[in-house]
Amino acid sequence: MSAKQGNCGNRINIKSITLYALFVAVCLIIGYLESLLSISLIAVAPGVKLGLSNAIALTLICRGDTKGAWAVNITRICLSALLFGSPISFLFSLAGGVASTAVACILSKLKSVSAIGISIAGGAVHNIFQCVAATVFVGVGVVYYLPALLIFGALCGAFCGVLVKLVLNKIKINGIF
Amino acid sequence: MKKGDIIIISAVAAAFVLSIVLLISFSKQGSRVVIKQDNKIIYNKSINANETVDTGTNTVVIKDGIVYMSDATCKNQVCVNTGKISKKGESIVCLPNKVIVEIE
Ligand SMILES: [Zn+2]
Repeated sequence: MSAKQGNCGNRINIKSITLYALFVAVCLIIGYLESLLSISLIAVAPGVKLGLSNAIALTLICRGDTKGAWAVNITRICLSALLFGSPISFLFSLAGGVASTAVACILSKLKSVSAIGISIAGGAVHNIFQCVAATVFVGVGVVYYLPALLIFGALCGAFCGVLVKLVLNKIKINGIF
Repeated sequence: MKKGDIIIISAVAAAFVLSIVLLISFSKQGSRVVIKQDNKIIYNKSINANETVDTGTNTVVIKDGIVYMSDATCKNQVCVNTGKISKKGESIVCLPNKVIVEIE
């Protein structure tokens, strides 16, 4: 694998398709492990997740591949809903996922924001939109969880951001993909 | 940490404080319980009355500032499943029996 092969403009090559598929698979496993964890997190607020799988899409965004990030995130949300979720949980995560990916893509264009900042904003926005989506199905009472969800999303986002930064450094040193 | 990161963290912190302030100001604890049957007020007392009101068809429990419908003769039981209310503006409605419990 030569280093020059990395980006072939807008053309999606076999290498990136394989890479995205691999990323989606990793996301699904992380998502499944998280759903096992979420029982102990329910004390914070219902439906709270660590959102570690967002770190995958964030890695792509920080490398400038926003199209890849969208592809991986949407595929992940659809597949995890089919495998572990319900139609309602699908709409919740779709609302959160689309909003947070959009915010992350926009912020990644700014030079003054690092992976950590992108991730914090993404995590907070994800939980805000998930909360808004939940009010439609569960009722306005869900709004009372908003402050807790907001701060939890930001903290998890910070964690993911640090993780992504470490991963990005490793990629730079070892020249993987 | 870059400059933009600090702006984002401040923005999230501000949103957190703002959401708490908004929630507190919008969720005022109610003071009175009003029960209506067939559009007539049959009960109007303090939320701290600690009473059980029987309208003939529905049983409303008022205890320690929390109000709920404990029993109803209606078929759908929507009123009983509404759960506990305590905030201003909240209500429990039993459409079949025409009973409305409101907090003011
Ligand atoms: Zn009823």
